[in-house]
Amino acid sequence: MSLPLEIIKKKRAEAINRIIGRGFLSTKRVYVGMATCEIAAGSKEVMNAFREAIQTGLTDVYLTQKGCAGRCNLEPTVEIVEEGKIPIKYGRVTREKVREIVERHLKKGEVIEEWVIK
Amino acid sequence: MNAMNTLPKYIVTLCDGPTCMHQRSKTLKAVIEEELKKRGLYETTSLVLSGCLGMCNKSPIVIVNPGYTIYGGVSPEDIPEIVEEHLVKGKPVARLAIEEDYLYNRFYRVFGDVAFFGQQMRIALRNCGIMDPESLDDYLSLRGYEALAKVLTDMSPAQVISEVKKSGLRGRGGAGFLTGLKWENTARQKSDEKFVICNADEGDPGAFMDRSTIEGDPHTVIEGMIIGGYAIGAHRGFVYIRAEYPLAIRRLRKAIDEARREGLLGTTILDSAFSFDIEIKLGAGAFVCGEETALIHSIEGRRGMPRPRPPYPSQKGLWGRPTLINNVETWANIPVIVLDGADWFTTIGTEKSKGTKVFALAGNVQNTGLVEVPMGTTLREIIYDIGGGIPDNKKFKAVQTGGPSGGCLPEQYLDTRVDYESLQAAGSIMGSGGMIVMDEGVCMVNIAKFFLEFTQNESCGKCTPCREGTKRMLEILQRITKGEGIEGDIEKLERLGTMISKASLCGLGQSAPNPVLSTLRHFRAEYEEHIKNKRCPAGTCVDLLSYTITDGCVGCGLCRKKCPVGAISGEPKQRHVIDQAACINCGQCYAACKFNAIQKS
Ligand SMILES: Cc1cc2nc3c(=O)[nH]c(=O)nc-3n(C[C@H](O)[C@H](O)[C@H](O)COP(=O)(O)O)c2cc1C
Repeated sequence: MSLPLEIIKKKRAEAINRIIGRGFLSTKRVYVGMATCEIAAGSKEVMNAFREAIQTGLTDVYLTQKGCAGRCNLEPTVEIVEEGKIPIKYGRVTREKVREIVERHLKKGEVIEEWVIK
Repeated sequence: MNAMNTLPKYIVTLCDGPTCMHQRSKTLKAVIEEELKKRGLYETTSLVLSGCLGMCNKSPIVIVNPGYTIYGGVSPEDIPEIVEEHLVKGKPVARLAIEEDYLYNRFYRVFGDVAFFGQQMRIALRNCGIMDPESLDDYLSLRGYEALAKVLTDMSPAQVISEVKKSGLRGRGGAGFLTGLKWENTARQKSDEKFVICNADEGDPGAFMDRSTIEGDPHTVIEGMIIGGYAIGAHRGFVYIRAEYPLAIRRLRKAIDEARREGLLGTTILDSAFSFDIEIKLGAGAFVCGEETALIHSIEGRRGMPRPRPPYPSQKGLWGRPTLINNVETWANIPVIVLDGADWFTTIGTEKSKGTKVFALAGNVQNTGLVEVPMGTTLREIIYDIGGGIPDNKKFKAVQTGGPSGGCLPEQYLDTRVDYESLQAAGSIMGSGGMIVMDEGVCMVNIAKFFLEFTQNESCGKCTPCREGTKRMLEILQRITKGEGIEGDIEKLERLGTMISKASLCGLGQSAPNPVLSTLRHFRAEYEEHIKNKRCPAGTCVDLLSYTITDGCVGCGLCRKKCPVGAISGEPKQRHVIDQAACINCGQCYAACKFNAIQKS
């Protein structure tokens, strides 16, 4: 019988593999806030808009939900994390803004500065 | 900090906590600025001073992004190398990098460069906002359940309790009782069965710390509870959560199911001899059901009413058995204490209040939200450095901590440190973490009335001081805000308040007068103004206001159209008048007037 610590290390390795299998190593990771507060501010629409973009051809993106980071009055929030770059945090994201974030940031690598939380 | 018009290419964060400051982080900052200028990088680099980063034994600390490399023990001589290698060439300086994989502050990697987050330290909320709360894989990848595995592998229950005791952790649900001591007291009891409870009732109006924790990182609460069960010798746990939190309940349920499926919960956890399982119990949302004895009654299927203590739940709790009950945030601290260590944990906070506290920052403040800071951070730092100050150029008037059980503190208390003792000495309490900021437009009598209305409504009625006393106090406050206050009302409020505090059965009644007593202490003149001169200085008590139209009126007629009771008359292009007898003081004319021609007094 293995020790609990050995078992958990194995479980972690397996979990990481599964996450990678789901595309975690894509160039860009997109986190959409999906807590009660975020959802009340409209984040379900934002999530759907990203999903639709992926269904209609956006590639190399790992889309996931996240809990509330605590920045209430700027919700819905979306983070775009890319290895080797400063993580970008967008605030008050809407379905319309997602369209631009997809076209400009995710496809062309252009950060849309006026929406960034500083 | 150099002002940035465009986004920086590099972010260099300097720890400016007390230890690092002592280690001359300011000098280091000057050296870095100098070097950046020399290399032509000053304009594209954002230099940020952070709050304590919790690595005091490796001070001074410098973090460089992109790459998120944490450098420790940095001397001025190291700066040229860091700038050359990391910033210019993009290769972190391995010699100075701290490799330790701490559990706390994980959010910092993503959020640390934003001032609102950079001043915070996150232990309970460490994973909130950086992972998928519905994915056990995500939690496992962030060293989830490793604390549980460590405890089951290397530590006896007594060792776990000793570690929690050593950490100095105190309950985050309000009373601030030493967690380790509570665990020890419960472990010591002899009984055929013991229970663990997570208090997720969160009844304070406006508080959402516990909801966010469960919605953002449900497994951390589960992991904490299993460790607690192991420490005291319990095999069953309950999460008591209000039914108004459907998403939190759904995520918790999913997390429990997944943990069970993975052998992290249930029988022989992680192939050890220990078994523990968790059930969810829904509360109907009564404030008093957050009180531990009332909560226990509620789980038992009885009316949610408190009973006198002792016996404490640790002696006689659920179904008469020894029961360990802790708040959500308290539980969320446990895995960090186990993995990052009690020795580390005690370096954060003040002498008697260790670690961090989560606050729900709300009210008249620029940045509202969830804030987790080291104990000992001042109210001013929270409201101004993190909260960004008061919007619309208004003046700060008071801050309310501790929700309906807490008090209001005025400006001269802004340098009060948030820890259990300091807040109490100032006339408020830590409570569970509500923090409401109020500007000059808020009437303190009205606020006191608001909170008392809440507690009066939520009083369970079992003991007379709370049931009758809060009602009488509320009647007096209602009179005062209507302009019907009389000489002696203040003294009566003080007498009643003190009596209710002393004579009530549970914390609800004992603390219910706090908002009134604290505003009487700090804003007495405002009460007197209401009573003697029938005036509300903040201009919020509707019955004490009157609106008049001044010479500035151009006769546009907008106010006449807006008035819901037809109290305004006047010919076009001529000054209008308000019929004071018909006016209901709703203020719609005042809000509508484009010429500032309506006066409120
Ligand atoms: C009226 C009243 C309401 C309370 N509500 C809560 C609550 O919502 N959540 C909570 O954790 N503790 C609440 N408490 C405190 C609990 O009685 C108890 O002290 C706490 O759950 C213990 O956990 P801790 O030591 O981790 O803080 C309340 C107490 C009173 C008197």
